[in-house]
Amino acid sequence: VREPNTEEMRRGGVRRLGAIAGPVAPYLFLAPMVLMTSVFLIYPAIETVRLSFMKVSLTGETTFIGLANYLQMPSDPNFLTACINTTLWVGGVLILQVGGGLLIAVAVNASPAAEVFKRILYLPATLSGTVVAIIWYFIFDPSVGLINLALHAAGLGFLAKSWLSTPPLNTYAMIVASTWQGLGVIMVMFLVGLQNIPRDVIEAAQVDGAHGFHMFRRITLPMLRPMTLVVVALALIGSVKVFDIVEVMTAGGPYRSSETLGVTVYREAFELFHQATGAADAVALTIVVLVISMFYMWTMFRRIPETVN
Amino acid sequence: VHAPGQARIGAVVTTLVIGALSLLWLIPLAMLGINAMKTTPEYFRDSSPLVLPANPGVVVRNLADAWANAGIGADLIASLVYGTTGAALGIACAALGAYGIARLNIRGRFFWFALVFSGSLFPIQMYLIPLFRLYLSTGLYDTQLGMILFYAAASIPFGLFVFRTFFATIPRDLQDAARLDAGDWSIFWRIFLPLAKAPMAVVFLFQFTWIWNDLAFGLVLSASDGVRPVTAGLAGMQSLYSTTGPPTLLAGAIIGTLPTLVLFLFLSRYMLTGLVLTTGTQAARD
Repeated sequence: VREPNTEEMRRGGVRRLGAIAGPVAPYLFLAPMVLMTSVFLIYPAIETVRLSFMKVSLTGETTFIGLANYLQMPSDPNFLTACINTTLWVGGVLILQVGGGLLIAVAVNASPAAEVFKRILYLPATLSGTVVAIIWYFIFDPSVGLINLALHAAGLGFLAKSWLSTPPLNTYAMIVASTWQGLGVIMVMFLVGLQNIPRDVIEAAQVDGAHGFHMFRRITLPMLRPMTLVVVALALIGSVKVFDIVEVMTAGGPYRSSETLGVTVYREAFELFHQATGAADAVALTIVVLVISMFYMWTMFRRIPETVN
Repeated sequence: VHAPGQARIGAVVTTLVIGALSLLWLIPLAMLGINAMKTTPEYFRDSSPLVLPANPGVVVRNLADAWANAGIGADLIASLVYGTTGAALGIACAALGAYGIARLNIRGRFFWFALVFSGSLFPIQMYLIPLFRLYLSTGLYDTQLGMILFYAAASIPFGLFVFRTFFATIPRDLQDAARLDAGDWSIFWRIFLPLAKAPMAVVFLFQFTWIWNDLAFGLVLSASDGVRPVTAGLAGMQSLYSTTGPPTLLAGAIIGTLPTLVLFLFLSRYMLTGLVLTTGTQAARD
């Protein structure tokens, strides 16, 4: 048996090193991404679940107390108010933004000035929720706000209210502000859906004498169904976890009357220092969001064969 | 049977209604602009927030007041830093990882993808409390570094989704031909990354806007001027606006809106078509 010469030994060594580095090296490409998301997203999510089963002292020490944080929810009036307000938000967003967005998309689609209207109605979506909240805070101002001044000018002064300090009007007022911001986005999504309806389907229906409302009900609405499901799911998720507009316009007040679940988490954890209660509220909110997300993904995956055909 | 004339009347009525709605939609923006040009006494004295300002030049003083005295200028610069470096760092991590998952010999591709992508499934409220505790105990609380790291991490899941889809469409021949004389890293750096400029722009725009608009993490993870983002600065200013006056606060809101508004005005067609996530991914693939 011949001894390997130095050249062969060197090559073998390189190959052996390569055999070790080879399988490991590809994982180095994943390392930064996995490290970052593990520390700043995945660990906090798991830790929130853990904290929801704990009691957290003001100094930050945790003691296991089982389901106690969850069991006290039904008897916590603030949590119940938040649930009711969140439901109002969901209903209001579905009616005003999804329903309104659909009607306006159909109207804009038929208009010769569609591009102008589309851009104007979408414009508020480029503002942050914080700025939208500031603008509407002044519009709803009881003494110098635009709404009450307009009501007085129209001789309807008796309708003028302290919009943001009277429950449940404050929640409705904030839903209006949110509609100003969100309607354009939903309208554009419906416009995409409308433009994907094949021309020949519409023309065939017109030949058969379909017009106006009949056309909308029998042709447009069924053909928009895939987009409608996506829009409804996104609107549901967005409205369930609403935070910015409420936090800036009323901070959930007065007396926690306009809190939504998303705001309750913040208030409990960072203003009342009930971190464990906040964590349990966050988990409850997440369960609702995940259920809706599953419905969303289910419709998305069901859509794929439809769009392929 | 409808007469053609009737249909035309219908179209005119529809256009009028939508036109009126569009005008209504512009009123809050007009209110924002007009009242940022008034003095505080003028704001309370005028019969309506839509009465034109006596001296529009006042806006300069209000903007300067919001910028310097209310600290919105320092917050704006912080937000610009977070929006650019956070999105860029997130894109770098996501592109590297997507290349690994889509094109390299890795076990458990779906596991790694699902692990990272799970970071985008939960509402923001699910992260706030442990992050606050973590930031307090590590000294990241109220630091620009801490804000950048979080925003970068939050940019990764969507970036991974877009880049993975994009890299999967690059022909394998290209990679195999390059492999003869280059390692995985230089294939990534010299071939895949330059090809991915379009999806990179989509992810950057999307994440910059997300970071720019974020309020909750700014409120929870930062406190001082120059560290807190402009949204948190405005929210703080709003809660004590009686000391600055409405016109100054509205001027601050204009400052905080300009970057995303300018982006929209330049890229409106692109943003309107790329709005739907699926459509956005489609655009990335083209």
